[in-house]
Amino acid sequence: MLDVGTLHPSRSGRARGLLLLALLAAAVACGRSAPPAAPSEQVFRFRLHEDPPTLDPALDNDQFSEAVILNVHRGLVELDAKTLEIRPAVAESWTISPDGLLYTFHLRQGVVFHNGRAVAAPDVVYSFERLLRKETNSPRRFLLEPIDGAKEFSAGTSPAIAGLQSPDDRTIVIRLSKPFAPFLSELTMANAAVLPREIYDDPGKAYLRAPVGCGPFQFSRWEQANFLELRAFDRFYGGRPALDRVVIRMIENRTSALQEYIAGGLDSLDEPPDDNDAAMMAKVGSEVYRYPFMGTGYIGFNLALPPFKDNAALRKAFNYAVDKKYMWDVLFPGSNIAANGIIPPGIPGHDPDLPGYPHDEAKARSLLAQAGYPAGKGLPPIALWVNTSEDNRRIAEQVQHDLKTIGVDITIREVDWGAYIAAVSGTGEKPGQAPMFRFGWYLDYPDADAILRPLLHSSNWGPAGNFGRYKNPEVDRLIDQALVVVDPKERAGLYRRAERIAVMDDPPWIILSYYQAKTLYKPYVKGVVLSPLGEFRLPLERLKIERGAS
Amino acid sequence: MLGLVPILLAAATLVWVFVFLLPGDPARLIAGGQGVDPRILESIRHEWGLDRPVPLQYLGYLDKLARFDLGTSYVQRRPVATVIAGSFPPTLILAVSAVLLAAGAGLVLGSLAALYRGRLIDSLVLILALVGTSTPVFWLGLILMLLFGSRLGWLPVLGYGMEGALVPFTTIRLPEWDHLVLPAVTLSLVSMGAIARITRASLIEAGTADFLQTARAKGASRARVFVRHTLQNALIPVVTLIGMDFAGLLGGAVATEYVFAWPGLGKTIVRAIGLRDLPVVEGGVLFLTAVFVLVGLVVDLVYLYLDPRIHYENARRACG
Repeated sequence: MLDVGTLHPSRSGRARGLLLLALLAAAVACGRSAPPAAPSEQVFRFRLHEDPPTLDPALDNDQFSEAVILNVHRGLVELDAKTLEIRPAVAESWTISPDGLLYTFHLRQGVVFHNGRAVAAPDVVYSFERLLRKETNSPRRFLLEPIDGAKEFSAGTSPAIAGLQSPDDRTIVIRLSKPFAPFLSELTMANAAVLPREIYDDPGKAYLRAPVGCGPFQFSRWEQANFLELRAFDRFYGGRPALDRVVIRMIENRTSALQEYIAGGLDSLDEPPDDNDAAMMAKVGSEVYRYPFMGTGYIGFNLALPPFKDNAALRKAFNYAVDKKYMWDVLFPGSNIAANGIIPPGIPGHDPDLPGYPHDEAKARSLLAQAGYPAGKGLPPIALWVNTSEDNRRIAEQVQHDLKTIGVDITIREVDWGAYIAAVSGTGEKPGQAPMFRFGWYLDYPDADAILRPLLHSSNWGPAGNFGRYKNPEVDRLIDQALVVVDPKERAGLYRRAERIAVMDDPPWIILSYYQAKTLYKPYVKGVVLSPLGEFRLPLERLKIERGAS
Repeated sequence: MLGLVPILLAAATLVWVFVFLLPGDPARLIAGGQGVDPRILESIRHEWGLDRPVPLQYLGYLDKLARFDLGTSYVQRRPVATVIAGSFPPTLILAVSAVLLAAGAGLVLGSLAALYRGRLIDSLVLILALVGTSTPVFWLGLILMLLFGSRLGWLPVLGYGMEGALVPFTTIRLPEWDHLVLPAVTLSLVSMGAIARITRASLIEAGTADFLQTARAKGASRARVFVRHTLQNALIPVVTLIGMDFAGLLGGAVATEYVFAWPGLGKTIVRAIGLRDLPVVEGGVLFLTAVFVLVGLVVDLVYLYLDPRIHYENARRACG
């Protein structure tokens, strides 16, 4: 770090330029009129890297958007950020028929939208139809596709969704076309929020910049690239939140954001300093919280192209060659955890006994020979693609180094996200051009289906999530079977089997890490939930500011 | 003013071609997230006209431009003109403050250096100018932030503030003024160095002119000779530099905006490139081009005031 102490302006006349600056700054500082914050006002300020791409629940497909939407909106059910249980939200109770096809929801009395109107069953029908409508172009339309008649409705061949009914103002009945175990979990997602028709039918789309929901906080102000402000909703059905205001500040540069946190302009920060940065850790180390975050990091192989196509031995060799423990213990200490499988800990189906691929250079060499490339001979240099970030670059450099030790040459291609995602995912028909790529996936809800199906099921080849075009009929079959099984134990067993085949017999990736979240919170922020869903799913309605109590 | 049209047409075409050549699929970024069903991507392409033949896309773009329509942002889903209207004022305020600081300090320092040519002050100014010009803005910004924001706590670390006054009859909010100091000083230091050096050089050159002898002989005071005769004659190259710097600062404040989380146009355009929000990139660049040209025009008009010998009317007749 630079020692700014040497730049202190002095009265002795040295460093005149800086003295000039200091005087200028001091002149302004004297006249500085910081708005006197009401001491009793409860405000929580956190940082997003950039504006949330959307505030429309139907269009949401990322965690920044969710960070806002899930506090403004509510759906029929919600996920408890701490226990990961499905809890009542707009629906106070529900029943599921024994065959797993019929869901009946009973709506809570006294739920009102921020515009003051009471929420009723037709609002749920409206919101679900809106998500499914073709013109909406929701990237997460699939969430409601298990409903009978949903696909026909989306295609425009049916004017209504056959399996979605509101027999009265307080009841919603949903019929699925076939059992779909994670359906209730899918309804916890931001996309399934209940919306007021009178606001969301606006052709001028004012709701895009001034959303109206029935969640604990109502939208207040949004200035692009500056801040977004929410205020407590007095009539929230769960009781008014303790916080009066929430301020979300857009600060892209990590170093600047950390300085702002230290100066007191932020109460929480998603990017604490690196553990290796002793000076910074001495300042804020005691405010760093670490907790499991359900996601998995990996380096994907493009299985549609040589050399990885039909060559499991080569993929296993790469897995043994990369030293995951070194990566997460030495290179990035205190961050992620070396992984041995795909399903992260805490998710039913996670297998702590899966051997995985502990670092073993000898095994790597022998598998490389078995793959047809003894000591790397005959293997042209392979491009490893990453999207621009310092951490990605460091990971790629370690992989490059580790593979070099067994004789494999890796070239690193670092490009921006837009170019990267195109090169990696390809199109529906054409595989991407990246032979290897660094990627990660966090689960939207705690169900192994939320990682295995998008990433490994052959029906999701290409842009839909299975970028490497993995196809293993047995894995496909087990994932499909687990969807229709209702018994949670039996489901977990099926996922365990699918994972074991994918990891040990036919690895789709170099498996790197189970995610761990690292977040800074000021000591006066009380009620923090360290959620396995990540820091952006922090339930703000549970927070409280207690200055002086720390 | 009509001369603007070919320049803007060329700029519009250039930026369109560059944007078109960017790798990646805008539909993919409009959909967001990581995994998206290819059928939805197809539908999004159709929604935004990205599935039309390329020449038609270009003609459609020009057609809209001719009707002063910059299009709609893919991401923000509102007119690009509105996006620019929101992010240009912060950039303008920052650039104007920086130029005023740079011009004020640069002129004073440059004049001091010229007046005390060869003395200690002269050397100090030259060193300061050199340091200012050659320091990367990004680094300088962080250093000032660490010193005055974090360590001394005199000024806000970053941001635009939330409670600045509204410009009457608009939705434009002014920054909280203490938030403006660090980014403006950072941005000004680079230009200040150059302005100080040019001022010094021009003053020294003008100071040797014969008409100063005449002025002194007529009994003009020392101060009057300096201000009315030397300085005014030395100002023409300085004004040119200030004008160019100002235009450059409007588009080139990106690094400063990034470090200080300043919600300006430069940052908006850079982010739009990352998101492949093509209409915002095209509209933003085009807008900055127009501003650049207009600033050039203003500088030309200032020459008229500074030097009575310049007549554009005659020049045009001679050319045309």
